[in-house]
Amino acid sequence: MLAPQVSEDTALFGRYRLAAYDEMFDPRGRPRAHYRALHDRLLRLGPEELDRRHRLADLSMRQQGITFTVYGRDQGVERIIPFDPIPRLVDADEWLTIERGLQQRVRALNLFIRDVYHDRKILRDRVVPPELVFGASGYRRECVGLRVPRDVYMHVSGIDLIRGEDGRFLVLEDNCRTPSGVSYVLKNRQVMKQVFPALFEQHNVRPVDDYTDNLLAMLRWIAPPGCDDPAIVVLTPGVHNSAYYEHSFLARQMGVELVEGRDLVLDRGQVFRRTTRGLQRVDVIYRRIDDDFLDPLTFRTDSLLGVPGLIAAYHAGNVGLANALGTGVADDKGIYPFAPDIIRYYLGEEPILGNVETFRPLVPSHRQHILANLDRLVVKAVDASGGYGMLIGPASTREQREEFARKIEQNPRGYIAQPTIQLSRHPTFIDGSLDGRHVDLRPFVLYGEEIQVLPGGLTRVALPEGSLVVNSSQGGGTKDTWVLRGAENA
Amino acid sequence: MLSRVAESLFWTSRYIERAENVARLLDIGLNLELDAGVQAGPGDSSPVELALSILASRESFQAGNPGADRTAVLEYLTFDRRSPQSILGMVSRARENARSTQEVIGVDVWRQINRLYLYLGGQRARRRFVASPSGFYTAIKESCILFEGLIQNTLPRDEVYHFLQLGRYLERVDIMGRILHARCQSRIEPPDPTSGETGLDLVRWTGLLRSCSAYGTYLRSERDRIEPVGVIRFLVLDPDFPRAIRFCVARCRESLKEIVGGDDDEVASSAERLLGRLESELRYIDVAEIFDRGLLPFLDGIQTTCRRVGEEIQRTFFLV
Repeated sequence: MLAPQVSEDTALFGRYRLAAYDEMFDPRGRPRAHYRALHDRLLRLGPEELDRRHRLADLSMRQQGITFTVYGRDQGVERIIPFDPIPRLVDADEWLTIERGLQQRVRALNLFIRDVYHDRKILRDRVVPPELVFGASGYRRECVGLRVPRDVYMHVSGIDLIRGEDGRFLVLEDNCRTPSGVSYVLKNRQVMKQVFPALFEQHNVRPVDDYTDNLLAMLRWIAPPGCDDPAIVVLTPGVHNSAYYEHSFLARQMGVELVEGRDLVLDRGQVFRRTTRGLQRVDVIYRRIDDDFLDPLTFRTDSLLGVPGLIAAYHAGNVGLANALGTGVADDKGIYPFAPDIIRYYLGEEPILGNVETFRPLVPSHRQHILANLDRLVVKAVDASGGYGMLIGPASTREQREEFARKIEQNPRGYIAQPTIQLSRHPTFIDGSLDGRHVDLRPFVLYGEEIQVLPGGLTRVALPEGSLVVNSSQGGGTKDTWVLRGAENA
Repeated sequence: MLSRVAESLFWTSRYIERAENVARLLDIGLNLELDAGVQAGPGDSSPVELALSILASRESFQAGNPGADRTAVLEYLTFDRRSPQSILGMVSRARENARSTQEVIGVDVWRQINRLYLYLGGQRARRRFVASPSGFYTAIKESCILFEGLIQNTLPRDEVYHFLQLGRYLERVDIMGRILHARCQSRIEPPDPTSGETGLDLVRWTGLLRSCSAYGTYLRSERDRIEPVGVIRFLVLDPDFPRAIRFCVARCRESLKEIVGGDDDEVASSAERLLGRLESELRYIDVAEIFDRGLLPFLDGIQTTCRRVGEEIQRTFFLV
């Protein structure tokens, strides 16, 4: 481990140490080509100026109320996600690989969902074990045989990527239900433009602003047939939901109404919203409520968030839903290990983006390996997300490992295990100087008339030193992600 | 517009208007108490304590603060989250309501309310309050006025705007009615227009005008010394002063008309009917007649109409 070669001013990078794959520096401590301009600029700015601008960015976010809610203590505390002012850069070639890889993966997973609820060819051909599909918590019997408009299920997805020690991007997790975070991508960019205007002039950064236009176009595209000017709404669980800011932000940016379940009502199979001028029709719903809570007549009867009768209206083709029902079957962690096979099966192509090596306790040899190496593996519950229900072997106690060993033996289908990957690191502004912190990347993909990958994404950063958990609910922060335009398409 | 959103807009601006008026009351009350001898008079409340009566908070205050002093009252009506009538209580409820309307009020208006909320809950507000209460209350007042200013200058004149206006002006009618009621009741008898005013009374009536930012305007429009009949006429019947009851009732009716739509001859809602009747009464009544009928019953009548208008708005627009 060595310090990067820094020229005159050492204050900013004085404590910096290289470890894992460093996004900014090559193994010899020299800035990578696409990071050189940023590196020089940071040195010229110096720690005090960076600190000032960091506080400016923080204040701006706080005043705009860009907050999320942490559950647990004090029944939901509003916080801002810590924002790190050092942008993460992705060069044009690398982005092209990511973009193609994500398009490929999303296309294949969408075909998989359609197949699972119709012909089940992939199950009959024994590519994916049927018991994993039917046992997945996101599988919905109600969707069997249900035709969805234009055969698209996962209109919006967020695929989590990480970069291992060899520098290759790998898929860590698929999020095919109601992934959050895109509002931070757009807001981070706005704040960065306010705080570091000169930096943008030196870099050719691809804009992210058109995301909401594309989202709106996609929502119009899934309107029921014959609906020329569809009324579109965003459906939120309400102000106390952790991602409420995002729901409100997206509605505002698209110029559509943000509704709660209690604002909607069914009348003769048609969805209406309650307005000051009586009931008005709704044609498309971008829902940010999980399947289970969407309609108490079909799913959880105790749900107060949903709209009674909505699913029947959806079945009748009277309303468009994004995402469709039952997409959780594709992002179940039990299905994840099969994603490369799913891509090969439907598309006849080799996966462009690989998976992280994954062990399944259902396979006896895997189970032995997992139980013998709990202190080195990461164990995840297949139906949990957000960094909950996880064991990080190297950071665990003996009691925790024993507890997980018991759980795995009792319910081998409920868990998967992966080697502990040293995620790539990125210079991050900590206590007045730069230090390396582990990051991941969540790009967002829209599936409308074509599959569009937002050029950027949410870079999440694990702020505690050495931590590998980037989730905002576990003390993670975010960075702006700059996808650079290549020389040929500048 | 969604009924739920309309309701939140209405309450957001009601709460901000109330918060601004609490700041005005406390500021002027504090100011009056600095003039020696104002608290005198058995049975009279001190100006700061009067705010408790105006806000109907005397009992809840006394339950939590036995034998308390002026500082406790100020504290209770400014920072106490448990008190529904405190400035902080109002602003946090305004913010809760505004949170669910962010997509219609726009970034600027939302940010302003959020800033006010964060300021009130922070240390800076505390220090300012201790160092200079008057400076603190002025800052709160200005922050509330900035909220209104942003609404005026960033929002189109559509339903969103008119529900905000409706809430603001209905609240202002209500609070002005309460203030005048308390001011006149604390003297037991309504002011006798023929009796000479003592210096002490002059200070109080002047204070009332000042708390409504009405002092200068009053002097210009009434061209007269400060006397109770003139003050009542001005604060109740003036058609042009933005804190006068008649002015506020007219704004309520206008906004309601815009919300309901329809042509001029048609009265579409009972709320509009109630407001129209009150407006024409305020337009044609003479101040002498108010005193003939009794000032307090007259003010009671305004309060009752206000409450009924609120109920009708609720029934017509929010409970679809």
